Amino acid sequence: MTDAKTMAYINMFAVLGTLENLCELDGKAKEIISGLKKPVNLAFEVKDGPVATFKFSAQGCVLEEGLKNYDIKIPVSSCEKFNRIIDGTVTPVPTIGLSKINFLLKTFTALTDRLTELMRPTEEAMKDEEFFVLSTRLTFYTIAVALSQIANHDEIGRHSASYIVDGDISFGIKGCDTATISANNHHLRTVKKAPENPRAIMSFADYKLASDLFNGKVNALEELCKGTVEIHGMASMIDNMNRLLDRVALYLA
Amino acid sequence: MSKYPEYSHEKGREYFERALKVIPAGIYGHLGPSEGLWIPINKWPYYSVKAQGSYFWDADGNKYIDYMCAYGPNVLGYNDPDVDAAAKAQLEKGNCTTAPSTVMVECAENLVDTVASADWAFFCKNGSDTTTLAVMSARAHTHKRKIIFLKGYYHGDFQWAQKIDYPGILPEDVCHNLVAPWFDIPALDRLYEENDGDIAGLIAQPYDHGNFKDNEVATKEYWTAVRKWCDEHGVVLIFDDVRTGFRLDLKGSDHYYGIKADLICFCKALANGYNMSALCGGEHMKSTVSGMTYTGSYWMSAVPFAACIACIDKMKKLDTPTLFRKMGTQLTDGLKAAAANNGFDLVVSGEPALFYLRIANDDSLMLHQEWIAECVSRGLFLASHHNHFINASLTQEDIKTSVDIAEDAFNVVRKRHS
Repeated sequence: MTDAKTMAYINMFAVLGTLENLCELDGKAKEIISGLKKPVNLAFEVKDGPVATFKFSAQGCVLEEGLKNYDIKIPVSSCEKFNRIIDGTVTPVPTIGLSKINFLLKTFTALTDRLTELMRPTEEAMKDEEFFVLSTRLTFYTIAVALSQIANHDEIGRHSASYIVDGDISFGIKGCDTATISANNHHLRTVKKAPENPRAIMSFADYKLASDLFNGKVNALEELCKGTVEIHGMASMIDNMNRLLDRVALYLA
Repeated sequence: MSKYPEYSHEKGREYFERALKVIPAGIYGHLGPSEGLWIPINKWPYYSVKAQGSYFWDADGNKYIDYMCAYGPNVLGYNDPDVDAAAKAQLEKGNCTTAPSTVMVECAENLVDTVASADWAFFCKNGSDTTTLAVMSARAHTHKRKIIFLKGYYHGDFQWAQKIDYPGILPEDVCHNLVAPWFDIPALDRLYEENDGDIAGLIAQPYDHGNFKDNEVATKEYWTAVRKWCDEHGVVLIFDDVRTGFRLDLKGSDHYYGIKADLICFCKALANGYNMSALCGGEHMKSTVSGMTYTGSYWMSAVPFAACIACIDKMKKLDTPTLFRKMGTQLTDGLKAAAANNGFDLVVSGEPALFYLRIANDDSLMLHQEWIAECVSRGLFLASHHNHFINASLTQEDIKTSVDIAEDAFNVVRKRHS
């Protein structure tokens, strides 16, 4: 079972939050934002839910929690409605920043379309090695952030987090992308770079394995037995993070 | 140069590759790589081909001094001649029969004569069978719903004993589970009040031997207070002695801590590896348990009963709890000294018969995992994050060799990080 509030936090920070990585890693996205003459700050304010500001410039995208010097603000009346916006069944309407509507209609829409193309890829598209790697890398960052959101908001996720001791978990694809899942008093925060002193490590052998894990084609524990998923350090942190990963699949399926 | 060369596991890996095709996870559960935390996996032996006394040999012919004892069942030594002789003699007479063998009665009488709080014995196969029966019986006896667990609990893998975030578990499976901290009587009061007294039982292991943390032994004062609290509140006290049973006290771990539990669960050390478990309890619980709908195809097989009688008799003869305390202390003193010689701080916790180890030099436990892996791959079988087990066949020479391998492994880890 999933709940709308947790889904909204995932949609805000994990799904839309992957725009940060998209703008950094994808040539097409870079091309889209290169046309920005001035930075644009787009804020979403969800009632009883997540609030965040996306700062776009020709150099990239940075997500910050809360309302931060926004040019455009999109208030959303509920978590359910926000989730429908992300699903594409409801059109967002800004109340502030109508003069920047062009950004919303062109640049932002082009970026989210590109994100959708990469995050919901066709089988055919995934046959292209470059596309496959990019899609997997973006999915990795989405999942890394989603698991913290689930740990903090989902009822069962909070139970898993209650068993995670303080410290940093290194979560990554061996030799490639790594994120930090930082636990403090059972609250989790994802940082999109490797930790300096991890207390626990979970790493996947390669992009193919990561992709298969993310798509539910293989099971992390089974791969642990095969040796293609490696763990080190405080195993209880990994054990409970793995339970959060199970719930990520539930939310992002 | 390492004094004890590293083992290789080519044949073991071949078996494991075959297993991965036909057995989920190759080796599932606590004996396998994921729950057993084989870090890294290639340092572990995968499978055994034979065992004797305190040793087992893997598929590549490597010999291990085994301090996991099949996670407890090996209490007298693998292939103990007295237990095996009793089992073989019974096998010739009959095993799984329509009318249960008379040896079942003899086994129950033996347990009642041995365990201080036991007026009867109900036989099953695994620890989970007995903890489940105990919880059902507590509910049937009190007509209440909630069960109190103590933090870090493990009472088997049946649905009710798992946690809400485990795969395949529904919130409804565990919605009557309450968790209290160890050594905190006021917390029991709070749970009782918060749940309007709807508490059927309290289930606990004799002391806090959760994994990934130093084990914390209990006191007679603590268990006396819990016993009093259960009596005052009409709560059935269930001792889960599956892991500790017969290693602390042949009369039961509740006896060791100066109390009588209402129900007590045994399994691992009961029959030196022959598959059986037993729920024992006081006379006041017998009628309730008599009314339970609970049975299994192999629960009254005769061979394990014969093995159990021989095993208990031999444990009494050897006074295994005293022996285990002495050998466990001797071994862990040696391990601590070997650690100190190499600049490591090895923390030993829990009861000596079930000692728990942790290298305290880093809080990630990565050094600890490295050391354990180097021990295992040199023939000293320890577990990364689980208590260990002593068995009665262990010799002074085994302990000496174990400490020597441990020191060699410490030396390897020290050099790697210097």
